[in-house]
Amino acid sequence: MGNSERRLRAEFHGSLVILALVAALPLVLTSVYWQGVVIVSLYYALQAMGWNLVTGYTGQMNLAPAAFAMVGAYGVGLLSHHWGISPWLGVPVGVAAAAGIGLVLGRIVLPLQGAYVALTTLSFAEILRLVIGNSYSVTRGDLGLNVPTVFDGRLPYYYLMLAVVVLVQIALYALMRSRMGLFLQAVRDDEVAAASRGVSIVWWKTLAFVVSSAICGLAGTLYAPFAGLISPELGLILNTGLVVSMVVIGGMGTMIGPIVGALLVYTAGEMLREVGDYHLIVFALLVIVFARFFRGGIWGLLQLGADRLPGRRETGAREG
Amino acid sequence: MTFLKVKGLEKRFGGRHAVDSVHFDVAAGELVGLIGPNGSGKTTLLNMLSGHLAPDGGTVTLEGREVTRLPVHRRARAGILRMFQLTRVFDRVSTLDNLLVAGRGLGLNARDALTRARALLDELSLSPVAALDAGRLSGGQRKLLEFGTCFMVPPRIALLDEPFAAVHPSMREIMGRFVRERHALGQTFLLVSHDMPVVREMCERSVCMNAGSILADGNTEDVLNDPAVIEAYLGGEAA
Repeated sequence: MGNSERRLRAEFHGSLVILALVAALPLVLTSVYWQGVVIVSLYYALQAMGWNLVTGYTGQMNLAPAAFAMVGAYGVGLLSHHWGISPWLGVPVGVAAAAGIGLVLGRIVLPLQGAYVALTTLSFAEILRLVIGNSYSVTRGDLGLNVPTVFDGRLPYYYLMLAVVVLVQIALYALMRSRMGLFLQAVRDDEVAAASRGVSIVWWKTLAFVVSSAICGLAGTLYAPFAGLISPELGLILNTGLVVSMVVIGGMGTMIGPIVGALLVYTAGEMLREVGDYHLIVFALLVIVFARFFRGGIWGLLQLGADRLPGRRETGAREG
Repeated sequence: MTFLKVKGLEKRFGGRHAVDSVHFDVAAGELVGLIGPNGSGKTTLLNMLSGHLAPDGGTVTLEGREVTRLPVHRRARAGILRMFQLTRVFDRVSTLDNLLVAGRGLGLNARDALTRARALLDELSLSPVAALDAGRLSGGQRKLLEFGTCFMVPPRIALLDEPFAAVHPSMREIMGRFVRERHALGQTFLLVSHDMPVVREMCERSVCMNAGSILADGNTEDVLNDPAVIEAYLGGEAA
């Protein structure tokens, strides 16, 4: 088993332990408010997992995860508002809409590289948010859409969101262990070399983009009935920034980083609510520090610590 | 039998012809040396053969099939596999996985790719570092690894750009032996090298480029002793 396979398995198992702790949390966390905070953290965790697939594992700087979550949420909201369709039926529609838009955007954007991908996805996200915000007759614009709830109380939402995060995590683990995971990491490390080994880079990048968009869309579809009101603010670039900071702080290109990052960053944000938006400065600084000095994020730091334990040090090959 | 046919290939960068109407053939099973001074157009030519650069004119035909417009990945699957002058491996995946990317990318199923990768790791003496990320390998090991990825599926033609440059003698020996053995079994190679003793020893035939054109093409000894080649490339030291 190679380092990459071993690392993937450790990260996956670590993430399951954390999710198991989250599952047990309501035993001690009885505050409805804080249960809501964890639900929103899990909503962001899904977006972070989707974003990590396309940016952390594939190396394509997508700046539209929040926009895809907004698409998913509006898929549920519009069906419910205009035709009275249950949010449950809206979920597959919202996911399909996000995946479909991801496919079109991916085909346009992904033959490009580097900053061009970032700029194009950022422009797309803003255009989409403005279109939704200004299409009053269809979306009610900035007034937002009411979405009927599907459960009474917080705990069913809590466990629904958690179950979806677990299922998506299992699916992502299977994906990363497959040929696709191998190819995505190859594309991330060196597109020229990947193509030279028979990997169709645009195809695999597009597929990653579609899957990522679908996951972000799924997050939005689940968030809509929980929140009860959705607005174009869901797609704000600020929310994408939050997703980015969660992944960078948790550990980009790892299975566990997005989950750890989302739980920590969102919860910390709530704890620092009294200082207003100043807490964003702290996150921004943390992102800079992690991006500059600790590329593996919190998970990478833990790994580094574990590697330095006696008996765990691995012999390097540079002397060879 | 003509295996690879290069006809009138040209590439301009601005007003300058990097490769200017190059014609040559490679027969099946040949090991052809491609030599020439720096800037003579060897790597540009290789880039056009592997699909990394679109030519401004001319055609490339492999076994009767024109591949000039095929993208890189499809050309690789057609059997034109390339080793770069500046080593290209996937730094953040293991040595074994680097080989598996090539195996799966070139159409092997998971089990066959793993079997083939393990055999190559043994043959190239890379088994001890199979689990390490490629980014942690030494320069020579990285070069060996990239070399290995070209042979996960036997290529129709292997384009090797300076495989022996800046590599420890023991690793040169491993690669050299590998090339000789595969060549004896009928593998076709195009080998770019500045290392004249290597070219002399390995290649029956050599093509010398200068200023984007072919200066000489024929028996390696004859090419290396050609006064025009000596003048353009070897500076009078070869004789």
